[in-house]
Amino acid sequence: MEPILSATNLQKYYGGRGNVTRAIDDISLTVYPGEFVGIMGASGSGKTTLLNCISTIDTATSGRIVIDGMDVTRLRSRQLAQFRRERLGFVFQDCNLLDTLTAFENIALALTILKRPAGEIEAKVLETARLLEITDCLKKYPYQMSGGQCQRTAAARAIITQPALVLADEPTGALDSKSARLLLDRFEDLNLGRQTTILMVTHDAFTASYCHRILFIKDGRPFTELVRGDDSRRDFFAKIIQVVTLLGGDSGDVL
Amino acid sequence: MFFKLARKNVIRSVKDYTLYFLTLLFGVCVFYIFNSLETQWVMESLAAYGGPNKYLVDSILQLIDVVSVFVSFILAFLILYANTFMLRRRKRELGTYMLLGMEQGKIAALLFLETLFIGVLALGAGLALGVVLAQFLSAFTASLFEVTVEEFHFVFSWKGVFKTLLYFGVIFLVVMLFNSFSVARQRLIRLLQANRHNQSLKLRALPAAVVMFAASVILLATAYRMLLTRGLLQIDSGFWLMLALGTLGTLLFFRSLSGFLLQICQSSKKLYYSGMNMFILRQFNSNINTNYLSMTVVCLMLLLAIGITGCAVGMNNTIAGSVAKDSPFDISIKLYLDEPCETDFASLLTRKGFDAEKNLPQRVQINLLRINCKPVTVEYEGHPASFELFGAIAQSDFNTIMALQGKEGVDLAGDRYGVLSGSRDDPCAQLQVQQPPLVIDGISYQADPASFRDDMLYTCSSTYNTLVILPDAAAAGRKVDSILFVGNYPPGSDKETLDAAFHSVSFSHEDLVGEDYEGGYGYMIDSRLDIYWSQMGTKMLFLFIGLYLGIIFLVTSAAVLALQLLSQAADNCVRYQVLSRLGAEEKMRGRSVDIQVFLYFFLPLSLAVVHSIVGMRAANDVISQIGRLDAAASSTVTALFILLVYGAYFLATCWGSRRILRER
Repeated sequence: MEPILSATNLQKYYGGRGNVTRAIDDISLTVYPGEFVGIMGASGSGKTTLLNCISTIDTATSGRIVIDGMDVTRLRSRQLAQFRRERLGFVFQDCNLLDTLTAFENIALALTILKRPAGEIEAKVLETARLLEITDCLKKYPYQMSGGQCQRTAAARAIITQPALVLADEPTGALDSKSARLLLDRFEDLNLGRQTTILMVTHDAFTASYCHRILFIKDGRPFTELVRGDDSRRDFFAKIIQVVTLLGGDSGDVL
Repeated sequence: MFFKLARKNVIRSVKDYTLYFLTLLFGVCVFYIFNSLETQWVMESLAAYGGPNKYLVDSILQLIDVVSVFVSFILAFLILYANTFMLRRRKRELGTYMLLGMEQGKIAALLFLETLFIGVLALGAGLALGVVLAQFLSAFTASLFEVTVEEFHFVFSWKGVFKTLLYFGVIFLVVMLFNSFSVARQRLIRLLQANRHNQSLKLRALPAAVVMFAASVILLATAYRMLLTRGLLQIDSGFWLMLALGTLGTLLFFRSLSGFLLQICQSSKKLYYSGMNMFILRQFNSNINTNYLSMTVVCLMLLLAIGITGCAVGMNNTIAGSVAKDSPFDISIKLYLDEPCETDFASLLTRKGFDAEKNLPQRVQINLLRINCKPVTVEYEGHPASFELFGAIAQSDFNTIMALQGKEGVDLAGDRYGVLSGSRDDPCAQLQVQQPPLVIDGISYQADPASFRDDMLYTCSSTYNTLVILPDAAAAGRKVDSILFVGNYPPGSDKETLDAAFHSVSFSHEDLVGEDYEGGYGYMIDSRLDIYWSQMGTKMLFLFIGLYLGIIFLVTSAAVLALQLLSQAADNCVRYQVLSRLGAEEKMRGRSVDIQVFLYFFLPLSLAVVHSIVGMRAANDVISQIGRLDAAASSTVTALFILLVYGAYFLATCWGSRRILRER
């Protein structure tokens, strides 16, 4: 099977001339369609930088990133914008909804930026909203919704364009445990039901336990990889905690 | 170190807040130009050759002084406003200084120093620009006088410089005090979290907006109707009611407009769900809801700017048009008499030291006559109007004067009469249309349509009564109403010097009518140059004051809009970041910024234009009593002028907003 994402020998350096910070130091990563992959690591380990490079928000110093058969390291900024809006979906820690638009409009915006015909928008938004169970709050503004609802709206916005890859950066970071569970259940449904490929960065072991496979990084280098296989989520969670302990660093950092 | 920090901040400020700096600079520049008017060529000429019209120089300068005080208040408000905007953007920076342990007094001093730097820079640059532009104004006004100034005459006014320094010095002092005061009140936590306390969103129910919009349209329509039916200058309680209705209508208009637009667009899915339209409309809606008050003020200020500039330019053209027509002779003297009297002005002038033979080679003295005419009734504006004609002129006298002007005379048969019209808006003007017979001393005369004239008989600054032109036979032996003496200076002579000599002649009772004269009399002396300068003086008065106030209002309103939009651009950074991540290209984002800026600039302007079109119609009725307002010319000039200044601010704001959004 063709991988949907393959990053090879990725490096990202900051600074220069004797003062180099290696944020990412030779990381390779392959994700196949329908996978739910997590990236874990302590603060400053380079996981967000990795995600930014993959999501074309940042450019890597060296290495190749191929998404859906397209080498994104060679794209120009205009093509990058087009690539982002057609192939990628984003969910961020602070849900990043536009506060002047209702939930419905926030989701629809992803489609109108793609210049999709106005006729099909309403039906699509309603369908996606049903998937994420936010049909009740479509008419509300972000400040009228709970954090969990906001984050699920952001998720709906990310998947409505049917992207090849959904990138999630600490999606549960600002949520209470109940909302986090609700959101992750939806992610799981999307992944199983619609075969949505998800790449999620997190430092929360519980959140990570929803993934099929987890890449751990430490100081910009790959540390280890865990595959869930047929484990139950509880068992997988225990394994994750072990690796996290091995990773070292302050437990406060990790949990 | 302290000094260095202030200097670096300023250098960054000049780059960051180009608009603030430019507005300061522009304010200084305009202020200098209009306060250095006394060095302008026209003003100097008016003072030197104006003769009896010299007083106009003082009135113009005095009026400029008064207006300048008013203008300085407007500018002070603008600068304070801009300054708050700058401080708002720098809250975090100031918080960092405080966090590092800088005392509030020190920070206040830092801001004080920065304002001083910027003030000195803007003053210097503004004055330099002002001196340069004053040369252009000089050339422009000279062209209004239809003269070319032979040698280049550099105009510079120390008085203007000192006055500008004084006024702006005070304004900057106020700003500095204000800065220190507002810094002293700040709490550190507030400053550091400034970014999190953005504007609070006030979203209003949309259907309410539609109702409010309808109400605003009704209010405005009522105000317009009142203005058009009542006219502009009927100042009573109704006038204030009209103003209040208009203002309230404008306020409601801007408060409801965005909601109304949104409602309309939402009803068309095709329009609403296309590209960035949804975002732009929502963004506009959220901003206008917090800013409708300032949009109203801007709209009203624009109305003032358009109205003042338009009327000034229009008046100017009206006056310019009448100069040539008004003065057929270099000099004229008219002596009104109750009793018959023989006065020969040519010899009188020569006796008084003004050699008529030499200085007035072309001259004529004639008598105007008094007639006893039966009242005439004509249709005037749908009603019968009755009037009497008192004055007459003999055909041969009229022809002599016309010959001197190089015009055709009239040829009347014995029982015919002609008319020399005075004002056009008079019932007398109807004589020409309705041509009733005139009964003078019991003898009836028929109208001779070929002898209806509207020429000027002599040089004077006001209109005169309609005169009947009678055949010589019919005119003979009638009572003399007044003696008219007209003349021209020799061609190629120095008219200014001759005119001064002419005006230095003064007549006593004996000179004019002789010692034994017992009746009443009066006389009127006018020269072409007098009229010219007095009209030019009035013209300058309107033009200068109009342009001065117009520019200031225009710049102020444009600058307020620009600053507000730039500060919103800073607030909007996060939103545009989201758009960027959703894959909206820079071009798309830039276009959405431009559209918002455009709406912001265009909406107050368009309402102001509608207001001013209605206002100008009403103003026209007032001005037409003095002369016709040249609507086409004045609106073209005004429009060009507004397009230039307003357009420049619009472009600068688009550019600035894009830059702010690109940076983050």
